[in-house]
Amino acid sequence: MNIDSVDIVTEWDIVAARQLGRNEAKKVGFGTVDQARITTAISELARNIYLYTGKGNIAIKEVTEGNLKGLLVIASDEGPGIADVRRALEDGFTTSGGLGAGLPGVKRLMDDFKIETVVGEGTKISATKWLR
Amino acid sequence: MKMRIPILKLKDCLIVSIQWELDDQTAISFQEDLLEKLHTTSARGVVIDLTPIDFIDSFIAKVLGDVINMSGLMGAKVVITGIQPAVAITLIELGIRLENVSTALDLENGLEKLERELEG
Amino acid sequence: MNKQIAGYINEHLDEILERWTIKMEDEKDDRFFQIMSEKVIDNTVREFGELVVFSLTESEEVYRVKLNDFSVKIVRYGWSVTFVLKALTNFTHVLYDKMNEDGYLNEQNIISYTEIMTNWITPLTHSIVEAYSNVWDRTVHLQKMALQELSASLIPMFDKISVMPLVGTIDTERAKLIMENLLHGVVKHRAEVVLLDITGVPVVDTMVAHHIIQAADAVRLVGAKCMLVGIRPEIAQTIVALGINLNDFTTTSTMQRGVEKALALTNRAIVEVKDK
Repeated sequence: MNIDSVDIVTEWDIVAARQLGRNEAKKVGFGTVDQARITTAISELARNIYLYTGKGNIAIKEVTEGNLKGLLVIASDEGPGIADVRRALEDGFTTSGGLGAGLPGVKRLMDDFKIETVVGEGTKISATKWLR
Repeated sequence: MKMRIPILKLKDCLIVSIQWELDDQTAISFQEDLLEKLHTTSARGVVIDLTPIDFIDSFIAKVLGDVINMSGLMGAKVVITGIQPAVAITLIELGIRLENVSTALDLENGLEKLERELEG
Repeated sequence: MNKQIAGYINEHLDEILERWTIKMEDEKDDRFFQIMSEKVIDNTVREFGELVVFSLTESEEVYRVKLNDFSVKIVRYGWSVTFVLKALTNFTHVLYDKMNEDGYLNEQNIISYTEIMTNWITPLTHSIVEAYSNVWDRTVHLQKMALQELSASLIPMFDKISVMPLVGTIDTERAKLIMENLLHGVVKHRAEVVLLDITGVPVVDTMVAHHIIQAADAVRLVGAKCMLVGIRPEIAQTIVALGINLNDFTTTSTMQRGVEKALALTNRAIVEVKDK
């Protein structure tokens, strides 16, 4: 199993994270559209970490389940946590002045999406894209 | 290190071809540079070509949207060209529709469209 | 005793198969006996009998090849799994009855007979069912691929105008495929207008409409215009009844009107030429 990760501290780390994601997606064998989906999702997750928590990590690994091959992206941070997960997953909800596409967008771009968060301790988001 | 995106002038249009992946800082300085250039040249139209770009996230989409609105305020029409299929699909799935944005298949079509719109 | 049974079956194969066929014909509801010609039934039955004997006498390899050929055939003939299992059970019953009648079985060898039958029939059942389901899986997979291939292709009609006819039900997976084909086709053919023809889509509910709207939005982003053609009266009714907003769309009822509009959008028109 292949694990790679990037610590997100500066704006440049967002670029590094999505470059890593794009390379891994290519290696697994995703087509151009899925590569764009994965890269974009990682960019959104990394930017969330950079904007809201100051420090965190994006880990990317290849996963298999039966005959299925996929790429798992884990975004973890030790930030303030998300107080209202349901609202954070609503379209158009934003606290940063962006377009508010963040989390619901990531959910749509990937196949599986899981969010674990504790207020005051941090957030862990796992998102998987399966190779069709 | 700071990379600047070149902005070319052709008659009364500005042409921008974005050749590499945009990081946040480059995107923002591009916004500033373009508005400055619009001011000095009083160009009436802008074509932004995105053919080599293989993904756009919500931040870059917002910068693009802002640039288009700001250019409008300064009296210039913007046409975006060369958005790749993969990029279009991810934008739609992100929920970013870029409504009211004028688009064309490539730079050539974009310039034609701009000319038509400026005449009309 | 193994060889003995095989030899016995071989010797009396015709009679066993005949009895077996009669027994199987009682399963009246199976289509196989109703629609197939007598010759096909005869051949298949014989092949089945041979297969059973092969499993006792031949090497594993020879048997495997034969088993696979046979499975392909019966899947094509439409035998159900239930029917296959019944066939095996009936075969053992027939064999037992026949051997008993002929006085081959007695108190001494009945136990080893049972043992052999169990050790023989159970793996046989497994291997036949497995081969059957493998062939079946492959068939389903091929059909799925075939369906995907025919599901959405963009056809260049005139310079700058392309058409994509949609046929059949649209689910999320197909919608994604349609969108990809649509966008790649637009870029490849340098289409400025795409006509999305939904004449062949049986139902347009909120979800299908949502997918179509998304596809049209994506087409606009790559720099072309998407028109919806082939809106039947009942589709128009459901769209309005569901409160789906297609106002941003150019829509027409027929392909002909759609083409005329598309030509107008690209500053062209069809004109009649007078005879000279």
